[in-house]
Amino acid sequence: MDEKQLVAKAQKGDFDAFLLLVNDHKSKVYNLALKMTGSVQDAEDIVQDTLVKAIDKIDQFRGESAFGTWLYSIALNQTRALLANYKKADLKPIEEYLPSINSIDTEHNSIRLFDWRDPHKLLEQNELKDIIDDAIEALPLIYKEAFILRYYEELSIKKVADLIGESVASAKSRVLRARVALRDHLSKVFEDNYGRTMQ
Amino acid sequence: MAGQCSDYINNLNDYLDGEISPELCKELEKHIGQCNNCRIMVDSLKQTVSLCREGKKENLPKALENKLTNILKEKWNKKFPKQ
Ligand SMILES: [Zn+2]
Repeated sequence: MDEKQLVAKAQKGDFDAFLLLVNDHKSKVYNLALKMTGSVQDAEDIVQDTLVKAIDKIDQFRGESAFGTWLYSIALNQTRALLANYKKADLKPIEEYLPSINSIDTEHNSIRLFDWRDPHKLLEQNELKDIIDDAIEALPLIYKEAFILRYYEELSIKKVADLIGESVASAKSRVLRARVALRDHLSKVFEDNYGRTMQ
Repeated sequence: MAGQCSDYINNLNDYLDGEISPELCKELEKHIGQCNNCRIMVDSLKQTVSLCREGKKENLPKALENKLTNILKEKWNKKFPKQ
C-alpha cells in the first residue's frame, strides 16, 4: 500500500494505517531530537508530543509534501518550543571567523593554521565523541538545526529552507556559519589536546 | 575573485558540497594547491562534517516504544470514537 492510500485510511480512523505511516519516521524524529537537545529525556518527550500532535492534525495533512517531511516539521516545532528558553545567541558574520586567515592576507603567511591530521589516531574514540557532542551542543539553536538537517538528515538546502521557514540564501548562510563555527571550535580543542605534543 | 584567502571562505561550503561552477571550482583548487592554510581549512571543514556524522544512529528505547503504542492508541480512540 502506498503512502497516499495509508493517509486516506488513517484519516478515516484506521489506527493501523497511522502506525504504518509513522513507523519508518519514529526513530528519525528521535535522532533529530536527540541531536538537537542532547538529552534522552527531552528526545523521548519530543517523539511522543510529535506523534500526538500528528494525530490531532492528521485531517489537515493534504499531501503537499511527503508524510515524513510533514512529521519532521511538527517535530522541529516541538523542539523549538522546548528549547525556546535556551540561548538565542547569534553567530558572528562569516567574515569575522578565521581571524588567522584574515591576517594571513596582510602578514604573508606568518600565521599557520593548526593541521588536524587524523584526530582518530590522536584521540580515544570516546574522547572524540564527547568533544564533538560538546561542539554541536555549543551552537546556537538556529545554526544547530540548519546543520543537523543538512548533514545528519542529508536534506537538500531547499528542503532545509522549507522546514526552517527561511529563504534558500539564508538557509545556506546558516549552514556555512554553523560548519565554520564547529570547525573553529574543534580546531581549538584538538590543538589543546594534541597540538603541543606534535611539534 | 583574486587570490586572497578570505575571499574564498564564502564559497567553501558550496565547493565542499559540490555546488559551484566549474570555473570557480578550478580557481579554488588551484589556490588550495598553492596555499597550505586554505588546504588545512578545506580539509578540516570536510572532517567537521564526517566526524559529526560518525555518531551512530540510536534506536528508539524499547520502553518508549511500548509506552508510545498505548498513549497513541488512547489518543486515537478519543479522536475516532468507535460507534
Ligand atoms: Zn589561501
